[in-house]
Amino acid sequence: MKKYIRKADIILFVVLVVIGLAASAALAMSRTEAGKNAKVIIESNGKEYAEYSLYSEETVVVPAPKQLSMDAPDVKASESADAKYDYYNVVKISGGEVSVTEASCKNQVCVKHGSISHTGETIVCLPNRLVVRIVDPEGGGYDAVTS
Amino acid sequence: MMQSHPDTSGSRRANHAKTLSASFVARVGLMAALALIFSYVEAIIPYNPGIPGIKLGIANVVTVIALYKFGAKDACAVSVIRIVIAGLLFNGLFGMIYSLAGACVSLIGMILLKKTDLFSVVGVSMAAGVLHNFGQLLVAAALVEELRIFFYFPVLLFSGIVAGIFVGIVSTLVLRTLK
Repeated sequence: MKKYIRKADIILFVVLVVIGLAASAALAMSRTEAGKNAKVIIESNGKEYAEYSLYSEETVVVPAPKQLSMDAPDVKASESADAKYDYYNVVKISGGEVSVTEASCKNQVCVKHGSISHTGETIVCLPNRLVVRIVDPEGGGYDAVTS
Repeated sequence: MMQSHPDTSGSRRANHAKTLSASFVARVGLMAALALIFSYVEAIIPYNPGIPGIKLGIANVVTVIALYKFGAKDACAVSVIRIVIAGLLFNGLFGMIYSLAGACVSLIGMILLKKTDLFSVVGVSMAAGVLHNFGQLLVAAALVEELRIFFYFPVLLFSGIVAGIFVGIVSTLVLRTLK
């Protein structure tokens, strides 16, 4: 058996850690305080579904496309008074913060993600192909127009 | 995936059965079963950090050992069989797609790094952990058509390093005993 840890391992480790730190720093910098024109963009299935001001008070039920997954929805649609769909996410905008409060998916990552309030932040629900993000048309720095 | 290694193409389909020796089938079957048990153990551990893709990947110990003990062909076969069956049994189709993408990228990386003969088992496994997560992220980005999902990248990178080192250490210990 060769040596437990070799020089190349350590070099690789350092390189990976540096890449990770650089990526974290780049992400931290793309996160800026949201201005008063900041908007919440909700995308479903790769297309824009709705757009609201970050400072509005809204609770939106976003239907998701039919799943290509065979995972059955974990939360019964009937448990939520708002939801009429088998696959959905409930996006809540309140007090300058956005969160996903309910989701039909199994892993509930988007719900656990908590709330976002800064420009450039996103909440993604992969099973339902939902992307919620905050953009600021005057925020500079961050590319507000992409689609 | 296995086209990356010319001599592995025989293990892909049963119609290439003439290239499969009985010992290969028995060995891969045994290792795939073992890996599947690890997948199962991992699936029932009630640990959920809230971000998909973060887990230890104990089953990959078997892949690493297969690679070092028997070669790339065995490692690829064990890995693919394990992922497909684990996907059908407990991870779901989505999990299976992510795992396959991750396994694809990490197997190629492992085979190449092992060929350079510069890295130890731990180093190769660490790289594989990172590449595995990277492959999954690529699929995720393609599925939501949203490149910004790469904000998960640092988290997945660090978790990949940790998981890869853990798998590498366990594999080293096992490989030593198997010698």
